[in-house]
Amino acid sequence: MPLWKLSFAFVAFVCYLAASCEAQKTKDMLLSEKVQQLVDWTSRRSVIRLNGDKFRRYIKSPPRNYSVVVMFTALEPQRQCVVCRHASEEMQILANSWRYSGSFSSRLFFAMVDFDEGPDVFQQLNMNSAPTFMHFPPKGKPRRADTFDLQRNGIMAEQLAKWITDRTEVVLRVFRPPNYSGAVALMLLMTLVGGLLFLRRNNLDFLYNKTGWGIALLCIVFAMTSGQMWNHIRGPPYAHKNPQTGQVAYIHGSSQAQFVAETHIVILLNAAITLGMILLHDAASGMGDASKRKIEVRLTLHDKVQ
Amino acid sequence: MARLGMLRLSHEKQDTLLKLLILSMAAVLSFSTRLFSVLRFESVIHEFDPYFNYRTTRFLTEEGFYKFHNWFDDRAWYPLGRIIGGTIYPGLMVTSALFYHILHFLHVTIEIRNVCVFLAPLFSSFTTILTYHLTKELKDAGAGLVAAVMVAIVPGYISRSVAGSYDNEGIAIFCMLLTYYTWIQAVRTGSLYWSAFCSLAYFYMVSSWGGYVFLINLIPLHVLALMATGRFSHRVYVAYSTLYCLGTVLSMQVAFVGFQPVQSSEHMAALGVFALCQAFAAYSWLRSSLTPALAELLLRSFMWLLLIAGSIAVAILALSGKISPWTGRFYSLLDPSYAKNNIPIIASVSEHQPTTWSSYYFDLQFLVFMFPVGLHYCFSNLSDSRIFIILYGVTSMYFSAVMVRLMLVLAPVMCVLSGVGVSHVLTSYMSNLELGRALSRTRSRRHPDHSYPGKQEVSSAVVLFLSFFLMTYTFHSTWVTSEAYSSPSIVLSARSPDGSRIIFDDFREAYYWLRHNTPQDAKVMSWWDYGYQITAMANRTILVDNNTWNNTHISRVGQAMSSPEEKAYEIMRELDVGYVLVIFGGLTGYSSDDINKFLWMVRIGGSTETGSHIHENDYYTPTGEFRVDRDGSPTLLNCLMYKMCYYRFGQVYTEAKRPPGYDRVRNAEIGNKDFELDVLDEAYTTEHWLVRIYKVWRCKMMPIMYTLGCGDYVIDLMVV
Repeated sequence: MPLWKLSFAFVAFVCYLAASCEAQKTKDMLLSEKVQQLVDWTSRRSVIRLNGDKFRRYIKSPPRNYSVVVMFTALEPQRQCVVCRHASEEMQILANSWRYSGSFSSRLFFAMVDFDEGPDVFQQLNMNSAPTFMHFPPKGKPRRADTFDLQRNGIMAEQLAKWITDRTEVVLRVFRPPNYSGAVALMLLMTLVGGLLFLRRNNLDFLYNKTGWGIALLCIVFAMTSGQMWNHIRGPPYAHKNPQTGQVAYIHGSSQAQFVAETHIVILLNAAITLGMILLHDAASGMGDASKRKIEVRLTLHDKVQ
Repeated sequence: MARLGMLRLSHEKQDTLLKLLILSMAAVLSFSTRLFSVLRFESVIHEFDPYFNYRTTRFLTEEGFYKFHNWFDDRAWYPLGRIIGGTIYPGLMVTSALFYHILHFLHVTIEIRNVCVFLAPLFSSFTTILTYHLTKELKDAGAGLVAAVMVAIVPGYISRSVAGSYDNEGIAIFCMLLTYYTWIQAVRTGSLYWSAFCSLAYFYMVSSWGGYVFLINLIPLHVLALMATGRFSHRVYVAYSTLYCLGTVLSMQVAFVGFQPVQSSEHMAALGVFALCQAFAAYSWLRSSLTPALAELLLRSFMWLLLIAGSIAVAILALSGKISPWTGRFYSLLDPSYAKNNIPIIASVSEHQPTTWSSYYFDLQFLVFMFPVGLHYCFSNLSDSRIFIILYGVTSMYFSAVMVRLMLVLAPVMCVLSGVGVSHVLTSYMSNLELGRALSRTRSRRHPDHSYPGKQEVSSAVVLFLSFFLMTYTFHSTWVTSEAYSSPSIVLSARSPDGSRIIFDDFREAYYWLRHNTPQDAKVMSWWDYGYQITAMANRTILVDNNTWNNTHISRVGQAMSSPEEKAYEIMRELDVGYVLVIFGGLTGYSSDDINKFLWMVRIGGSTETGSHIHENDYYTPTGEFRVDRDGSPTLLNCLMYKMCYYRFGQVYTEAKRPPGYDRVRNAEIGNKDFELDVLDEAYTTEHWLVRIYKVWRCKMMPIMYTLGCGDYVIDLMVV
């Protein structure tokens, strides 16, 4: 009897050993598979798109030897998240610079979860704002510092890179693709102007057209006095819609800022008053017939009252 | 009797008398409208930079020009010092010193401070007169008078030239307009006399303001425009050649400018146009003695030669690294938003912000609408001088849109062109009015003027409307001057609940305390904003001042302010600090105090290597807020700046129904109340607690050190 018992125990032990060996093996398999899968995805797309299931399998569940930086965001147009789009662009730049850098390895992956593809993830992490950047370390759970502080650091890729280096000790160099659009636009404009001049080289009198130059300069003056340069440098919204009441405000409350709509109103008013003054003078100095002049005078007075 | 005398004058004489009267009234007005702050407070220098100018002027009058030129200032930037003679534009100081000496020669014993205070209003009176002459060249005397009255009260110019605002811009606008006026005269007459006069005016401009670069690019642009429109003549040739040669040589005499006029890229346009002038003149001379075919050949070969030589030169310079196209600097020329977005120092200064439409209206009011009318007039009647004013108007318009402080350059041309515009419209209707009255008086009423019905009524309506506009402009300008641009910021004022005015004169109180109660060679540490004022008024050595040329030194001060006492003491001993001065607004509600500026100290302090122990995040609460109450970060509640500002503040009741130690700026009860200072002694606190001064102990309070070479401390103790 004891022998039978012993042999049973032995068999059980062997079985257990084998099983645990198998488990270890599957775990190894799983890990290498996971890494392989992630590398595959990364080669296709530098920021991996995850839904709830994938997120849990590749990022939440334990066997991991890699860091993942995940951006939680809401890119669907109906969400109207402008910041998300900026953040996503920066993330893309960062991920690309990592993927195409010489030191690329499977130590670090970039991923994103869109709210509309994995709302359960947001619930699980108790997250109620987007975009959020989180770092998931190879071992253990993310701590407080593993959430990127957007308020303080902004969304520039350089700041993100600094934070990632802080968390993972992977050194990242951000490489921004140079923006050629300005240079190209300038070249196009130059060729256009040059071409026009070349085509009309026999008759360049139009360059000496006083009225044309005058109108162009007046346009510049109106653009500047109405603050178009401010718009160009600061990029304000066209108008502001109050999300609660749905009312649209066209005029900014502070004198330090302005909306684009506001400047358009101002440019029209300025131009109207100036035109009124010019017509007022022309009317008096005797051009056109009497009735027309009278109308002009009345019109300009009307302009000014406004 | 007076009426009879008036009647006896001929029409020309009456005309002259009226012009003189209006012009002199405008000049007086432009002086007196800038005196709001003198009447409200007293004859006092304003703000920060003027104090430096005032101090250097005082030095110049006392020590003479050569000592001034070689002046090495050991009172600032201790222990580095600063070479002053070679790093400033001396025009302003020399002007006031000149006025001072002339007045003293005439036995008018005016104090140098008063010369400085009233210099800017005086020069704006000169500007008014000059504007009249400039506008007269463009249209007629009537337009000149309108423009003169406008420039007398235009807020965009007043903002930099109220009494007490003793800064370069105050006289630079006058110099600029003087240069323009003489340039227009030189182009009109083509005489060497006016051209030489123009060079002298340009020299005065260079010696007084860095903005002269605008001039030396605008004038060549004018010459270029004249060439393009076929208006280039011998007159322009003489004027420009003289101005460029004389002006460049003269401008190089200013030590701060040095060799820039022949080296830096900002001046190269002037050189290029000068060369072009010579080539153009040489070609026209050659053409007069050659056949047309030969001249054509000459021109073509010359063009090709120039093109090839130019591209080779650019290639060589680019390869050798003398010039580098396609860098940030190049882009910032093309696109104004580049600097704003990519260079944080430019982005942080409020004067460098772009201009909103509302600040145009605030600073210029209805000139915004009349400027284009004047521009239109100039375009429909082109002449050499009108082309110049068009160029000036449009370029300065562009620059003022990029940077709000350049409104100052725009304001005079706004007045000139608006004056032209207003007088343009007014003359056509005024003559109708005159005609109507003359007709009705001489002829019977049965034959009214039939050119259009209701002529008289329409004309009077238009004139009334324009007068209404002019009046609102006057009211607006006076209101803006009085409310926005006439506070000296060294003396503060507030309204008490019963409507009376309360004056806070704490700054001067503190500076005079320093002057009379500290040793001559005491070193005072404060944040850099107050550096100029301390050296000028307290006459003590300071560590950093508003001329922020050494970032690491400022950073060291920032580190001392944001470190805990122990660490701060080390830094202060290293810098040999005797006194520390902080500005604290918590009692009165003065919001631009040192606690509100504190984050900049932390940032600047942490930005260098020695400040590696300072991290901005440590000064925020875990939720990322900057708070001084109980929830504030412990690092903040224990740093030197906090302790100096709030020392003993916890015992003070500031508002009814609030606990003691309630900060009225941050609207919070302070979090760290009952603490003692270990290394500092409160030396002086002003009446409203705006300025607090602390004495740094020579020795730390450690029992062992009492006897170890801390002589003065031991004596202090004995006395106590």
